[in-house]
Amino acid sequence: MTDANALLLALAIPTIATFLIAASGSRPNIRDGISVVASIATFAVVLRLLESIMAGARPSVTLVEVMPGLVINFSIEPLGMLFATVASGLWIVTAIYSIGYMRGAHEKKQTRFYICFALAIAAALAIAFSGNLFTLFIFYEVLTLSTYPLVAHKETPEARAGARVYLGILMTTSILFLLVAVIWTWSLTGTMEFRAGGILEGNIDPVFVPFLLALFAFGIGKAALMPFHRWLPAAMVAPTPVSALLHAVAVVKAGVFTMLKVGTYIFGVGFLGRTGASEWLVWLAAATILIASIVALTKDDLKARLAYSTVSQLSYITLGMALANQMGIIGGSMHIVMHAMGKITLFMCAGAIYVAAHKTKVSELDGLGRKMPLTFIAFTIASLSIIGLPPFGGAWSKWYLLLSAADAGQLVIIGVLMLSSLLNVAYLLSIPARAFFAPPRGQMAHSLGAAASPSKGWEEAPLFCLVPICLTALGCIVLFFAIGGIYEYLLSIPILPETAP
Amino acid sequence: MPEIGTPALVYMVAALIVPFVRPATLRQILLLAVPVLGLLTFWQLPYGTYGTFNLMNMHVGLMRLDALSYVFGLIFSLAAFLALLYAWHVRDTVQQVATLLYAGAGLGAVFAADLVTLFVFWEGTAIASVFLIWARRTEGAYATGMRYLIMQVGSGVILLAGIVLFYRETGSIAFSRMDLESPATWAIFLAFGIKCAFPLLHNWLQDAYPAATITGTVTLSAFTTKLAVYALARGFPGTELLIYIGATMTLFPVFFAAVENNLRRVLAYSLNNQLGFMVVGVGIGTPLALNGTVAHAFCHILYKALLFMSVGAVMYRTGTSKASELGGLYKSMPLTMIFCVVGAMSISAFPLFSGFISKSLILSASADTGHFFVWLALVVASVGVLEHSGIKIPYFTFFAHDAGHRVKEAPFHMLLAMGITAALCIGLGVFPSLLYGILPYAVDYTPYTVTHVVTQLQLLLFAGLAFAVLIRTGLYPAEIRSVNLDFDWTYRRLLPAALSGVAYLVQGTWRFASRIVMGRVDSLIAGVYRAHGPQGPLARTWPTGSMVLWIAVLLGMTLVLAYI
Amino acid sequence: MTNHPNGKTEGMPPLARLLSGFDKPRNVTRLFYLLLAVCIALGLADFLYHKHGYFAVEEFPAIYGLFGFVAYAAVIFLAKGLRLIIRRPEDYYEPFAIDTEDERAAGSDPEATGGKPHA
Repeated sequence: MTDANALLLALAIPTIATFLIAASGSRPNIRDGISVVASIATFAVVLRLLESIMAGARPSVTLVEVMPGLVINFSIEPLGMLFATVASGLWIVTAIYSIGYMRGAHEKKQTRFYICFALAIAAALAIAFSGNLFTLFIFYEVLTLSTYPLVAHKETPEARAGARVYLGILMTTSILFLLVAVIWTWSLTGTMEFRAGGILEGNIDPVFVPFLLALFAFGIGKAALMPFHRWLPAAMVAPTPVSALLHAVAVVKAGVFTMLKVGTYIFGVGFLGRTGASEWLVWLAAATILIASIVALTKDDLKARLAYSTVSQLSYITLGMALANQMGIIGGSMHIVMHAMGKITLFMCAGAIYVAAHKTKVSELDGLGRKMPLTFIAFTIASLSIIGLPPFGGAWSKWYLLLSAADAGQLVIIGVLMLSSLLNVAYLLSIPARAFFAPPRGQMAHSLGAAASPSKGWEEAPLFCLVPICLTALGCIVLFFAIGGIYEYLLSIPILPETAP
Repeated sequence: MPEIGTPALVYMVAALIVPFVRPATLRQILLLAVPVLGLLTFWQLPYGTYGTFNLMNMHVGLMRLDALSYVFGLIFSLAAFLALLYAWHVRDTVQQVATLLYAGAGLGAVFAADLVTLFVFWEGTAIASVFLIWARRTEGAYATGMRYLIMQVGSGVILLAGIVLFYRETGSIAFSRMDLESPATWAIFLAFGIKCAFPLLHNWLQDAYPAATITGTVTLSAFTTKLAVYALARGFPGTELLIYIGATMTLFPVFFAAVENNLRRVLAYSLNNQLGFMVVGVGIGTPLALNGTVAHAFCHILYKALLFMSVGAVMYRTGTSKASELGGLYKSMPLTMIFCVVGAMSISAFPLFSGFISKSLILSASADTGHFFVWLALVVASVGVLEHSGIKIPYFTFFAHDAGHRVKEAPFHMLLAMGITAALCIGLGVFPSLLYGILPYAVDYTPYTVTHVVTQLQLLLFAGLAFAVLIRTGLYPAEIRSVNLDFDWTYRRLLPAALSGVAYLVQGTWRFASRIVMGRVDSLIAGVYRAHGPQGPLARTWPTGSMVLWIAVLLGMTLVLAYI
Repeated sequence: MTNHPNGKTEGMPPLARLLSGFDKPRNVTRLFYLLLAVCIALGLADFLYHKHGYFAVEEFPAIYGLFGFVAYAAVIFLAKGLRLIIRRPEDYYEPFAIDTEDERAAGSDPEATGGKPHA
């Protein structure tokens, strides 16, 4: 199998899976089986591609030429490969988890759910592999549309309202800003290709660079930069596996991935750094990090709190791009991986709590830790990773973002990242801490053991929910120790223009 | 023992196994074996750096064994063993695992040869130790734990920022002597300072230690702050600023301790004051002073653990550690009383007790280098130590007014742990060469001279006389149930009040602004429609432009609608 | 060392019974004078040997003793003064503190007014 065929196969498997799932809608076991098998097959193909990419191959496939110069082209570079690996790898756990969750929560229209899910993964992979802005834009919109039914899944008025906000903001920003930015770029440079070192340098008056960057930054609404972040908490009405998909696997990561990709391959890190065009974005990202964290502190709804946490964490990645140096790109792309692993765990835990105990509010969780110890241990591990504490993966991405800030001479940004860690401790760790150690509401506990009564047995979520949670929580630890390889890999993201042959 | 990089690994692996070990007795034995095994991994190892590898172009060294880290490794292992023995009765898996992880992280940090490893274990001590507070499982302990955690993680992230800047400046992450000359080293200094409870950064200590479980406090007292002292001794020996910080630290807790009612908090203030002596030693930085710091840390861990153990045993039996609720307990717990008095005499530095042979090194070093006022401050602080730890703790617990508690003597394992610790306190006091032999620098020092013994006894006994006079005349402050404000008031009362004020303002402004903006947007859309709409003047000349703007308007409206 | 509520010693551990003799007010007074005598002896001892001090002030006879006495009294009086400023009711930081929660859990209301000495 050539690399190019593998690339097409990776895109084809989830697409074909949608039809198979649709066809087997009446037999749930087969349907769910197909989605799991498809996820594993996709991941296998993606891993096969990863191997080639690490060996230096850069496969490229052109599907159709819409107009001269306007082509649907897929070509893989290290950054996209990273995103594809994360998305397809986490699809497996989400697919398994979905079985437990959807059945445990007695959700309706599960077939539609699985169809849209597979479609969203296909779109995410297409974004990851896209070789030019046009392709990226098309599949960016496909992803938005394919996830709309997922957000509205419950078909309640709140679900519809949430989905309307979701679609409204994402579509509007993408057409109003991103499309304009794409067309502007095209008219300036005559190409839409992603090239190492960027395509804009020399083709644009430096005065306009911040404006073009603004169009991109706000146009990529999926990166949830303030003030266009509202869709993310609004989409919390969706079932939890969808939230996991939105927050960890596909949607938001597609956003920040696009951000990194545009920064690296359209503007060029060096160009951004020299013109200082991204300076304002640094501050906006920093503000988003802090404000979203503070808002998260005030949220009592577990998923809303996690949503604002995501808003804040995504801006880490935007920040990495905006700092415009190699460490920033490395830190940002590393954070895609680390945050994905941590946040998917957190959301799956939130779902498990809902399935097992029907609790959605943080304030209702007191004492629940003794009934669901594994879930809350996983929650603790993932929280620590997102806070950026060792020995969990998140520590390293924070390390590189700090290095990047140091390289850029931004001492204030270092302070922001530190403060954000503390805010994360306050709004994330308080959840498992209360679950394990706070006495149940309305009871007074005596320090000599009144509250520490022996547990009355575990009441965990179904195994299909629990196993993926434990796997991803372990992943957070593994990522800490496996960092050497990831770092080596990320170094291969081209920062400088390739020297002309 | 095979070489395994860092002794922390033994603790980490044990922490993974312990939850699955049944029955309870087997688990206790395993727990006690861990510090022994950990000690064996470096006990006989020749000095050098072990567990080195290259990580992302950084030279990591997991274990640097030299004279300084060896002493701390030894005492940390000993403290872990004693704390676990004291906690023999605890059946709470959370506390057992947390104790192991905490002690392991402490050891790992002490042996870290580079700053990244130091950071990893530094945060490790923060995360693991908070569970010893939360394990009390009350609302107050939860809140206190959160405050503690924020402070500790705060120290960690400041350290991280410092390391990042340091790495960028020097290209190295080696942990060695640093100078206070750049933001990088200042940040590292500050991070150490938080963990070391420098003045104004100290309140986490007095806040958290009385809130932990009985056994948890014993464990907590050993590691965190002494790790910080070690880090200062490693990174900033001879930094003059530390002398003054340390002198302040020895003095101000004395007054707070004198009026504090919760005896475990009295001990926390006392701990703070003892750290001051060590910090002064680091600041002076001569071999004698550094020896003094290390020796004092060694002895201090033992007698402070002993004091916390005895007060803990009292709390275990009576349910309280408040001086106002205690008294006369020697009738029920005479052995605990004797161990407590041994601890009290050790911390007060009576001759033949361990405090005497370690504190005098620091006092001599400060006098040697001509720091008269610092020396004077340390002497006053020594009197203060006698006041709050030497007299107040045993007197109000075991003597004074009989509060009527008729309880059993402490359980056997607690008595055993206290007995061993007390024996070590006396042993070190009687045979100082045992400790002097392993100090980092070869220094010839004789603590037992006539002058020194007589003057020290004069100081202590006259101070004791003053206490007796004050008690008999009724001038001694009564033990009153109250809380006393300290610097923590700023973040427990002032800051929340200020923040809620700001939040109120922001909310009001936000509502006002959004009302105005919404009104403007509506009129803007109306205006655009007038200009570009089908009847608008612009529509006639530029139909294409009109269309584009129409789309823009429509999309803008969708956006606004989406927000509603 | 002050009063003994019932004077009964049975039921105490043997070690405690041994010590309980010191509880009698007469013996407490004796202890006090013993301490005074030891202090005076120690003060006089300064004349019997050659002192090796670091600073000139140390040469003064019994200076350590006098200093200890004065310093101790000073610490106590300063602390009493400090207490006037910093003392607050025991439930001041409720419910985010451990100070009174054990009492509340046990059902006995603390003297939250925080003014009354325990006597």
